[in-house]
Amino acid sequence: MGNLILDILTTAAILFITSAGLLIIFGVMKIINFAHAAFITVGGFAALVAHQIGLPPLLAPIFALIVGGVLGAIAEAVIVRRLYERPLDAILATWGLGLIMTQLITASFGRGVQFLPPPVSGTVKVLGAEYSLYRIVLVGVAILIALAFTALLTRTRLGLSTRAVIMNEQLAQGLGINSARVRLITFGIGCGLAAAAGALITPLTSLDPAMGLPFLIGAFMLVMVSGGSLPALALACLVLGGLQAIVSTYVGSVLGGLTIAVCAAVALRIRPEGFARV
Amino acid sequence: MKQRQTGILLTSVASFAMLASAAAADTPIRIGVPVGLSGANSVVAPSVVQSTELAIEQINSAGGVLGRPLELVVADDGSGAAGAQRAFDTLIFQRQVDALISMQTSAARNAGLPILSRGNVPYIYTSFYEGRSCHPNMYVNGWVPEQQVPPLVDHFNATYDAQSYFLIGSDYSFGRGMLEFTRAYIEEQGGTVVGEDYLPMDGTDWAPIISNLRTSGADAIITSTAGGAPNVTLTRQLRDAGIDLPYGNLAVDEGTAASMGSVAEGIYISASYVTGIDSDTNRDFLAAMEAHFGDDLRTPNDLSVPQFEAVLAYAAAAEQAGTTDTAAVIDALAEVTVEGPRGSISMSHQRHAPLTMYLGQVTAEGDVDVIAAFDAVDPGDQCPDL
Repeated sequence: MGNLILDILTTAAILFITSAGLLIIFGVMKIINFAHAAFITVGGFAALVAHQIGLPPLLAPIFALIVGGVLGAIAEAVIVRRLYERPLDAILATWGLGLIMTQLITASFGRGVQFLPPPVSGTVKVLGAEYSLYRIVLVGVAILIALAFTALLTRTRLGLSTRAVIMNEQLAQGLGINSARVRLITFGIGCGLAAAAGALITPLTSLDPAMGLPFLIGAFMLVMVSGGSLPALALACLVLGGLQAIVSTYVGSVLGGLTIAVCAAVALRIRPEGFARV
Repeated sequence: MKQRQTGILLTSVASFAMLASAAAADTPIRIGVPVGLSGANSVVAPSVVQSTELAIEQINSAGGVLGRPLELVVADDGSGAAGAQRAFDTLIFQRQVDALISMQTSAARNAGLPILSRGNVPYIYTSFYEGRSCHPNMYVNGWVPEQQVPPLVDHFNATYDAQSYFLIGSDYSFGRGMLEFTRAYIEEQGGTVVGEDYLPMDGTDWAPIISNLRTSGADAIITSTAGGAPNVTLTRQLRDAGIDLPYGNLAVDEGTAASMGSVAEGIYISASYVTGIDSDTNRDFLAAMEAHFGDDLRTPNDLSVPQFEAVLAYAAAAEQAGTTDTAAVIDALAEVTVEGPRGSISMSHQRHAPLTMYLGQVTAEGDVDVIAAFDAVDPGDQCPDL
């Protein structure tokens, strides 16, 4: 039982970490960043570079956040900015951007699997069960990310402008808010978060040019049911991730892998606003 | 205009073909290698091409086969079915190869077989695989489950007195096929399988499986994932969860184990080739590879070495048959024995080869310690009708 509770919590935490970047971009800009997977990969390789230049492991996710954020901001200024009025073209453009980034990573680091020593290893005894210490650390990281972004949105000038742009962009512009700047910063933060997620999951996954891809569909589904709200995303991760862990434990992992997609589709059919405004 | 050009082109191709048959004595014998230069096999494919190049060069410098040099023709099969059909088609009908020799995914091999029937050339399949693929034109010199699994299970029984096993795999034909055989073999030996679970190929979170493993009370784990990412992800998460049961991995090769470093420490592997095989043939082979490819050398492995030996086997069979005629070469392939890095290999057993299997354990430095060798392990009844 202790194992199951921890599986649920840690699965939800990993899902939250890997979808938060996608959600923030969707919340402000109403576009889905299909380059999200590539930015996760960028983060994994940023952690590798951080290791190679001798940064301590604790700084790797922050290094990845900066690398992803800068690349994301460049992508916004060069490509995405032109496509806000054409959301379908934005999907195509970000998907293409993701392919190009993945190929560039393959060209510079090779196709094979790379290895990074984990920042922490070993297990701890929680709720009567021996459990991976790193997975438990990730629960704390997920909470930290949630708190940091809630604070950013509610306690800062930038957050105020961002919320204004989310509510009514034209009105916000009329009040002198530079919405182009808000979008640039938001896209950069979203991509930076995706990259930080990539750096955070490398101790648990393989580090290769396709590492981000498996997380994209799950993140996409979770963001769709959350409707762009951060607390709704946390709830969706907990409920759907929990169901995934339960199905995997008691039925089988192949069905478990389908749980999020199936439940998200059913949830949206019954309640189009999903977990938003619960 | 376009039609006339095509006409001229066809005439010139036809006259080339006539020239070729007229001058058969010194025209090369073409060896077609359909291999996954792109896609899932792209990490290992370069090593396979390198060992083919070395085999062909060694044969040619010793005077060729039937007085004719061998010529290598490589085609990318994209590691999958559609690409394999194109590659087989190109090699057999356009490049007119005399034989196909290659390591491929099972999907690619199965897709190529109907084209092999039409083109009627000999084909040596050099990858280990899940077994029981039979075709009148095909020989196999890689291992099958009957050869790979027993050394592991027998060792776990003898050394750790392992009675109960937990099996973990990727959800695809090789993963399920290997573990199905493993389960049957464990039960035949009087052991029990207390858990068996699979994650989809693109799955990344093994936590629920690991929790089930922990509560199952198993004495040992055997895994059969897809190579590369799923294997690494599972191994990392097992280690991260502090699982230190005897761990047999049916999908890790020596090179991957070495690059995984301390994460792979303690893993048991079972293979027909490890670089540490203590024989002159193996040392000569490794030295020749090193001399030929220098810094570009891809470490020889359990897929590239059978490829090397298969080229030698084809050469020996054609010499013995006295011709490159398909029917004669196919008969001779069952009779010839080659001395390769893995030892004496003869594809005499229902188109498959008895092999010496090595049980190895990965050390902290990423090397593979050979713990035991099992001589001439029988492939069992693979193709009783051939």
